[in-house]
Amino acid sequence: MDSLKPQDITRPLSDQLISLDKFMPLPAPYDKPGMEPGPSPLKEAWKDNHCTTLDGIIGNDRLTRPGTKEEEERFVKNFLSGMDKLFSKETNSGFLTPFLLAFEYCAKCDACSEACHIFKASGEKEVYRPIFRSEALRKLYRRYKKGGGLAARFTGGDMEINLEAVLRLGELAYRCNLCRRCAQNCPLGLDNSLIAREIRALFSMEMGIAPTSLHERGTLLQLKTGSSTGMKRKAFSNIIEFIEEEIADRTGKMYKIPVDKKGADILLIHNAGEFLSWPDNPAAFAILFEEAGLNWTMSSELAGYDAVNYGIWYDDVQAQKIALAQRRAARELGVRRIVIGECGHAHRAAAVSSDRLAAGADNIPRESSFPILRDIVRSGAVKFDPLRNNFPVTLHDPCNIVRSMGVVMPQRQILKAICPQFREMTPHGVNNYCCGGGGGFSVMREMNFSEWKMKVAARMKFKQILDAFQDTIQDPVIPKYVCAPCSNCKGAIRDMLDFYQATAKFNVQYAGIVELMVNAMVIFDRPYFEWLQEGWAERKGI
Amino acid sequence: MLLTVFMYLAAAAFAGFSLYKVYLFAQNPLNNRWELYPVPGELGTRGSYGGSYYEEAEWWARPRQVSHTGVYREMLKESLFMRNLFVNRRKHWRLSYAMHLGIYLLVFFTFLLLAGAITELSGLRLTTLTGAGNHPWARLVYFATSVTGACGASLTAFGSASLLFSRVLDGTLRKYTDFDEYFNLCFILAAAVSGLIVWSTDPGFNYGREVVTAMLTFAPIRGGTALTVHILLFGALLIYIPRTKMSHYIGKYFAYHKVLWDNEPNLSGSVMEEKVRKSLEYIPQDRWSAPHVNSAGRQDSL
Repeated sequence: MDSLKPQDITRPLSDQLISLDKFMPLPAPYDKPGMEPGPSPLKEAWKDNHCTTLDGIIGNDRLTRPGTKEEEERFVKNFLSGMDKLFSKETNSGFLTPFLLAFEYCAKCDACSEACHIFKASGEKEVYRPIFRSEALRKLYRRYKKGGGLAARFTGGDMEINLEAVLRLGELAYRCNLCRRCAQNCPLGLDNSLIAREIRALFSMEMGIAPTSLHERGTLLQLKTGSSTGMKRKAFSNIIEFIEEEIADRTGKMYKIPVDKKGADILLIHNAGEFLSWPDNPAAFAILFEEAGLNWTMSSELAGYDAVNYGIWYDDVQAQKIALAQRRAARELGVRRIVIGECGHAHRAAAVSSDRLAAGADNIPRESSFPILRDIVRSGAVKFDPLRNNFPVTLHDPCNIVRSMGVVMPQRQILKAICPQFREMTPHGVNNYCCGGGGGFSVMREMNFSEWKMKVAARMKFKQILDAFQDTIQDPVIPKYVCAPCSNCKGAIRDMLDFYQATAKFNVQYAGIVELMVNAMVIFDRPYFEWLQEGWAERKGI
Repeated sequence: MLLTVFMYLAAAAFAGFSLYKVYLFAQNPLNNRWELYPVPGELGTRGSYGGSYYEEAEWWARPRQVSHTGVYREMLKESLFMRNLFVNRRKHWRLSYAMHLGIYLLVFFTFLLLAGAITELSGLRLTTLTGAGNHPWARLVYFATSVTGACGASLTAFGSASLLFSRVLDGTLRKYTDFDEYFNLCFILAAAVSGLIVWSTDPGFNYGREVVTAMLTFAPIRGGTALTVHILLFGALLIYIPRTKMSHYIGKYFAYHKVLWDNEPNLSGSVMEEKVRKSLEYIPQDRWSAPHVNSAGRQDSL
């Protein structure tokens, strides 16, 4: 057992708290030596400027070491000032109750550790135990905000603050996917992932420190250009035209994608990453919505064509601005409802997280696209041939859609109707494991963070995928499909399959749910998936 | 008479501090939704597999329905059996449940003491020289008091002692246990053991009824050293509990009902929308300091 305890977070600069060596074993065929890429060495140059003393990994690239003693003092002082604000009605009204509950009432039963995929996948490294981070914050708070006297020490306020402790906490906040599985296991209903999130918020909103991918190239870029991808209105229009042409090429049928149609019933918003990385997904939505005869549109207004809201992971102010911008794009068009495409955090940000943010004209109903898609299957408006998807299919449950929003069955009802070889992962539904890309990790690729994601954060999901396909995994002729109806999960699964070479070696494919639906549509005479098109003409005798 | 006054104060402090804590949580601003599924207020099987109203297209146009039965059922499972700990941490549950079941029995025991005291004040004796009285009600109250008191104190003592040992012996728990957490368990153990010592000389808990009778009639409590020590420990524990994390009977209510199970949507024209509107009108008196936090719009949490 690891001898580290929360007080060790203050250890001097020379000590790296843990090294990543032994991980949770993977099932066959990854149980053999050499199947998993080895770790890359840590670059010496990174150690000077960043915090590598937690686990040798840099997740928050903007968390840099102060240059002078004065800067160091100011850094610690700002942290303490931010800590105060987490406990204030004035600055943390939206999260005060859940945060105080998680902070004050933990009974230290350790039930959360068994639920945490990062803790388990890492080989149970102590710093990743969900209560390690929370307990370090508690100790600092009780030492510095409760007077530091005997009474404070009596309740755990026995840890002196130093630069290394603050830096390590700043990094440690980005070793949690915010999947909330730990909260599900907690007998008192407390949420350690919220404490991780609040530490992120403190660093961002008080100290101006947040990973570049989430802040500068994330929320700031989205508010400036309309999308976290940097895509502007003109580029969006071009992509829509490109998608229309692609659909015609792929299916032989021309569809006009409605944009900025006033008074439509539905405003469909995708994660804009789909347009760049997986245009087949918005294309499939367009085909299905058009074939089903829905009255829908997309928006080219600022934030109206990008459903992402990275703010929910680290910064309430940014989350608020983006959510309002999206609502206003919908209001401009006069739509009845906003429907979110296949993006988990966008589902939650739009429907749940920002629900108590707007009243009156901005209070436009938001809903998931999954029930609409399920109803398309059930209604018979579009005809499907399940045999076109006659290969093993498993479903990844995005945490934000199942555990935090309660959309569990529609996606299953679709897959059961159109995929004869559908099988569940274990566990699944609201008890699922995160893909490893949750909480912003999917877009965070700085320094050596990607490698950590693949080896630790995504490890449990990779194990689940291998387990789900154990009957066919060793046969590369049989395609195996991971249905990941979320852009960020899809990104994480793409990176995972690439890192472990599971597509190249074992023909494990991935994409969303609408692609499977279009692939099964009887009106098209060819597969929608490129990896099925290979040899298709020969098989058909064309 | 001092002991009687002390017990009045202890009971008042327990109620007062607990209510004050409830008041503090209730006074917090409307929080953002942070529900976690399964939410038992969802209708039918949704409440068990973790579905929600979001599983329907145009859910916002349908009537809002909440399964209060589902909420109460889950509440009872969690409160009476500590279901989540049972499912997720069985070993710990055995010890923790022993202590909590003991406390529940002692709460019931207290009500039985009250019933016994009122019965005796009404003129019906619960006991004779040879044991329980002959009246069926007297016998019922007498034996139920004896069983709940003996089992409650024993289980509380066993549970708190075993939790204390497990915290000392389990390397992981030891690392995360602060001094107050050891103290809390010791305090409960001391109160339970002192009760058992008093009980060993009075198996029918007649002393307990006399204490309650004294409190009902504002009369002095007469007792020996053991009873005095027990009353002082028990009273001090009552005063102490609401000031500490042992007041999780309050925290757990808010955690489940106001956070994890609160998926009340902000529908147009609803009571919730009115609450949201009021919350949005509030102008915070303080703000975060990072450069990107500018003065436009609401600056507190989403």
